[in-house]
Amino acid sequence: MTKNEFLSKLADELKKKNIADADDIISEYEQHFAFKMADGYSEEEIAVKLGNPALIASQFESSDVDKKSSGKKITTVIGLCFIDFFAGIFFILLIAWEAIMASFSVCSAAIAVCLFSGTSPLSLIPSMPYWPRIVFGVSFASLFVLSAEGCIYFAAFIRQLMRSYCRFHHNTLAAASGSALLPSIAINPQFQAKFNRRIRSVALISLALFAASFVLGMAISVILSGALEFWHAWGWFGYNAVK
Amino acid sequence: MNTQYKKGVLELCVLSLLKKHDCYGYEISEYLSKHIDIADGTVYPILRKLKSEGLLTTYMQEESGGPPRKYYSITRLGRETYEKERAEYLDFAKRVEILLEVDDNDKE
Repeated sequence: MTKNEFLSKLADELKKKNIADADDIISEYEQHFAFKMADGYSEEEIAVKLGNPALIASQFESSDVDKKSSGKKITTVIGLCFIDFFAGIFFILLIAWEAIMASFSVCSAAIAVCLFSGTSPLSLIPSMPYWPRIVFGVSFASLFVLSAEGCIYFAAFIRQLMRSYCRFHHNTLAAASGSALLPSIAINPQFQAKFNRRIRSVALISLALFAASFVLGMAISVILSGALEFWHAWGWFGYNAVK
Repeated sequence: MNTQYKKGVLELCVLSLLKKHDCYGYEISEYLSKHIDIADGTVYPILRKLKSEGLLTTYMQEESGGPPRKYYSITRLGRETYEKERAEYLDFAKRVEILLEVDDNDKE
């Protein structure tokens, strides 16, 4: 690229980006060429060392950001309102799911307590011999641990997602009005590695315990009742007990 | 190297040079590219930004046998900003160095 090519390309780019005092900037680069040529460099060499005109023009752009942002801001605000609306619905769904998980967890705990203590409020817990009761109790207790942990993790996830979204909201507005951006926040909860390992092992153990004790409870029940469909034999779910 | 991040440091270097004496644009560009690997063209946007922030002023001066040169001169605000940011940068660089050296020790 020759001197004239470089300067006219730069002038085009500056004009395209609406940068004020383009003539002033051009004359600065013209002087740069003059000095360098006096030092014995060729026009091509100087142009290469200066860099890409489009890139240079965009560097001038960042120094007067606030000039052209006013028109953009209204569009950004309207767009954000829409996004907020849908994000709001999404967050309500997530919170509803959290509530479902929490009630599931509480129910598991209640069933486990009933099974261990042998009580049956409102006759909701069907009657069964001692051992199946205890083994099913263990299985529901581990289900409680598993779902409670799920609840805690999911709550942390929702919280982090909301924080991350708020930061996105803030930064989008800040970018539109040309003020400083804050660093964005990760979507997934940032636990320490140790805590992550711990919840993972608790989840695995409780899942394994749940599966094992559930199968074991079924097996014991089948053996004790002498029937594969032991719930018929013990008269659960409205069947008449087979004596 | 990340250019955005380099730009902030370059601003500091420009201020440190201008604190000693007034310079014209080409002089600053030569000074910086002698020490730091940058495209020559990036210096002028920095000068303009510093001027728009009020840290620098410019004046034209006739030279014997040539067109008038545009000189850059640091303002009082520029001096104050330089002192503040210089201290901040040196402190920051020291902390980063400590962190990176810790990282080095972990590998061994």
